[in-house]
Amino acid sequence: MRLNLDVYSSGDSWIHRWQPKQKLIGLGGVIFAFASVHDLRLVPAMLMVTAVFYASSNLPASFLLNRLRYPGLFLFGMVSLLPFLSGETVIWQWGLLSLYKEGGIAVALIAARFFSILTLGLILLATTRFVVLIQVLRSLGLPPVLADMTLLSYRYLYDTADNLATMQTAMRLRGFDQSRKWFFLHPNWQTLKQLAALAGTLLIRSYEQSEQVYQAMRLRGYGVRRAGYGVQGMGHEGAGEGGKCLTSWSTIALWVTLLVAAGFVIAEILL
Amino acid sequence: MHVPDGILPAQVCIGGYAITGLVTWYSLRQINRMQDPTQGVPKAALLTAAFFVASLIHIPIPPASVHLVLNGLLGCVLGYYAFPAILIGLFFQAATFGHGGLSTLGVNAVIMGIPALLAYHIFRLRQKLNGRVKSSMASGIFAFLAGATGLTLSALLFFTIVVTTIPANLDAATERAAVLALLLAHIPLAVLEGIFTVMLVLFLERVKPELLQNEG
Repeated sequence: MRLNLDVYSSGDSWIHRWQPKQKLIGLGGVIFAFASVHDLRLVPAMLMVTAVFYASSNLPASFLLNRLRYPGLFLFGMVSLLPFLSGETVIWQWGLLSLYKEGGIAVALIAARFFSILTLGLILLATTRFVVLIQVLRSLGLPPVLADMTLLSYRYLYDTADNLATMQTAMRLRGFDQSRKWFFLHPNWQTLKQLAALAGTLLIRSYEQSEQVYQAMRLRGYGVRRAGYGVQGMGHEGAGEGGKCLTSWSTIALWVTLLVAAGFVIAEILL
Repeated sequence: MHVPDGILPAQVCIGGYAITGLVTWYSLRQINRMQDPTQGVPKAALLTAAFFVASLIHIPIPPASVHLVLNGLLGCVLGYYAFPAILIGLFFQAATFGHGGLSTLGVNAVIMGIPALLAYHIFRLRQKLNGRVKSSMASGIFAFLAGATGLTLSALLFFTIVVTTIPANLDAATERAAVLALLLAHIPLAVLEGIFTVMLVLFLERVKPELLQNEG
């Protein structure tokens, strides 16, 4: 399992250089504005804004296509029947099967919103280093416990995934074959028990590792109450790359983006 | 069982974030009441990573295979850390695989996290049977209830939110019938989740019992 959250974060585009705090607020505003779009006439504008942002980010098209594949299929599974179930205006009929205009419009809207919101989310996550994003969220009020947990989970996700892969290989080498003795729609309890032991071992290993991690963190002063400073956290109290040096163009970009977001919300109300 | 981006209107997404904020605040308040709140952070963080990875294990149910949700089990093991852990896990799932989404992160946290907290309280009830039945039997019964309730309640929330917000112009009775039908279809999965939770809890109780002892 590869997370690849930071693969494209060192790219060179104005979105990469955009101050992370302004970028988070700006793109977040547009994401929620897109979620409020219910008028089909706003869809071309929404897709155009999305395309401009994606083109500006210099991210490869293959990255977007790869990331769209799985959630796109999931969404298709969820809404594909809607044009056949919802609506009153029949636009095509074959026997008992009718295709309704209203259901078709609803699917088109959902698909366009999904594509635009997912793309903007990808731009935000792919053009900002993960640690910086957490620093920005921290400066915006994310509780320290949540920030610490997120950073530590991120740090140990790779290790845990490697652990699981090693254990699964070891199980296979010892003759474990999860497909044996399974009947149609009927689980094999022995195999299920072995898979539960696999998941349990993974939890125990992580738990034991967490005790060592905690002791190491404690030795470095984590959790120690200092006069006037509160409890010592993981060192993300400062705004880091995200909070200082507000460049004027970053602020202008934020305002322009928020104006675009407001434009969609106002247009949705007026149309 | 994650609501993707684009399905829900902005009001529901914002409402989801508001409820998530409230439940996170409540969970953190309970965590801060513990003797040493920071002591649980590495444990919760590494177990969050472990749960995230463990949920990728395929359970073969021929002719297909399923992923377990494990939110009930997460509640049993992490207690009040379960809600923040689920929020973080969902964020990683949205960021890495596109399961769920950033706009629906709050709603998805409510769908998965509130049942996990309920599962934690159900699992704690096993202490009330202390002395009356064998300890492993009490753990087994309440682990099953926690695991099965976690998934069932998540499925109920998921289908209710999706069916009532998708613009399908269905009347209330049809919506109720659709939610009920989808929920009934998930009963076998809830039973499987419950059984898997029992197996895992009994394994942990035998090998590492302190993993199941949450301050509350």
